Amino acid sequence: MSDIYESRAEGSMIDKPVAKGALTREKMKARSRGRLASLDYLFYVVAAVAIFAFIYYLYAFRQLGRLYLPVFLQGTLTTLVISLVSIVLATCFGFIGALGRLARFAPVRWLAITYVEVVRGTPVLVQLLLWYYGVGFVLSSIGFDPYSAAFQLMTALQNNSLVPDAFNGYFYGILGLSFNYGAYLTEVFRSGIETVDKGQTEAGLSLGLNSRQIMRHIVLPQAIRITIPPFTNYFITLIQDSALLSVLSLIELEHVTYALALPQINANNKMFVFILGALFYLLLCYPLSLLARYFEKRMAVAY
Amino acid sequence: MDLIQQAWPEFLVGVGNTLIYCVVSFPLALLLGLVLALMADARFIWLKAPARTFIEIVRGTPIIAQLFIIYYALGAILAAYNLVFLINTWSAGIAVLALNYAAYEAEVFRAGFLSVDRGQTEAAYSLGLTAGQNFFHIVLPQAIPLMIPPFVNDFIYMLKDSAIVSVIGGGELTSVLTAWVTRHGSNPIPLYALAIVLYLVLSLPTSYVARRFERRLRAAL
Repeated sequence: MSDIYESRAEGSMIDKPVAKGALTREKMKARSRGRLASLDYLFYVVAAVAIFAFIYYLYAFRQLGRLYLPVFLQGTLTTLVISLVSIVLATCFGFIGALGRLARFAPVRWLAITYVEVVRGTPVLVQLLLWYYGVGFVLSSIGFDPYSAAFQLMTALQNNSLVPDAFNGYFYGILGLSFNYGAYLTEVFRSGIETVDKGQTEAGLSLGLNSRQIMRHIVLPQAIRITIPPFTNYFITLIQDSALLSVLSLIELEHVTYALALPQINANNKMFVFILGALFYLLLCYPLSLLARYFEKRMAVAY
Repeated sequence: MDLIQQAWPEFLVGVGNTLIYCVVSFPLALLLGLVLALMADARFIWLKAPARTFIEIVRGTPIIAQLFIIYYALGAILAAYNLVFLINTWSAGIAVLALNYAAYEAEVFRAGFLSVDRGQTEAAYSLGLTAGQNFFHIVLPQAIPLMIPPFVNDFIYMLKDSAIVSVIGGGELTSVLTAWVTRHGSNPIPLYALAIVLYLVLSLPTSYVARRFERRLRAAL
């Protein structure tokens, strides 16, 4: 008897008396759930085997790995330093851009909008090439060369051996990358400032604060909280886009990877070196993406 | 001006190739992204875990590294089996754009499905619809308008990211640009200006349409 009610409650459209011991929908579901659960356990076994297989894959190429590991670590460090310098510079560009976007003087606003639209409408790669070959060419024809300038400066400081041969690549590469990301961060900062409720500004005004005090003590602290998750996400994409600097012959992680991989005659060795390079990028980016997700979750809770 | 007039026809061919790369890759990315999104939201871990792993790996590595893996490493391995004809700049470029963007589109699909109120699904079940009917007749029609603006944005991103195919000489706009810059080393600035204007012509109208659509959508909601 209870079987009938159960099958009705389950939503079966046909009113048919169900024989005792027959397969009702509920029972079928329970049975398939049991089967699925045992398949789930099987999955963990297969996943463990897959992880071990991957570790064994790394182990099988241990000689190659041990040989190249110092170079890879050096490349990873370079990528990290380039990314950190670029994100700091990009934050400066983005902050100036956001102030320009929100300026009351219209030409400043137009300039900021042009900056954002042109940079966001063109590929990073083209911008990097433009900075390195285009702007670099024009500046050197005027008589400015970043390499010799840095060399002279460091000579004055008694250690010019610190200046790398590809200093122009670093200079224009980092400048191009941060100029590009500055445009994206401009929009992030602007929307962050604009999302802060207008009532907050009005409350500040009614308390007798001036506009600078309102910006500094009321709007910015709230806006920064809002901008943290997208900022972290842009930092992740910046690390990935710094791989494009290898085109400007900067010796960073991607450059190291293909410089070591392309001469490999054995196809499997070539694949291994490329995978190792990608793995280092994953090691850099995945913890950051977990961090970004944590921030997003905390933001969702806070409001 | 003379230089631009000379370069103009080849640059237009480059624009055409850029568009071909994107127009072929984007539908593939959408299709694959939908499959990935459904897999990632499934309760069955055999579907869920592979999809999540794929998404995390693709989103955690640079697109240029993925391009090198497919073009050079996979190409070298396939060459050992006499299958090297499978990998050329076109197939590698389209494959890497489609695979990379599939991971991002999957997240867009997931966000779109989540934004449809759960009560809608419950109502559909209480009316006796199956899960498939619920998905195709209730959830998808409501989610698609919400997903169109991010899709258009991602299409613009793809137009720009297709420039990366130029590092393997894909024949699109940036490849044409770099070829012309090496040929006319004396003054590259007009060539860069031309390429930047062409990229802006591709991306700005699209983003303008996307923004108008988004505003209308927000007004309608």
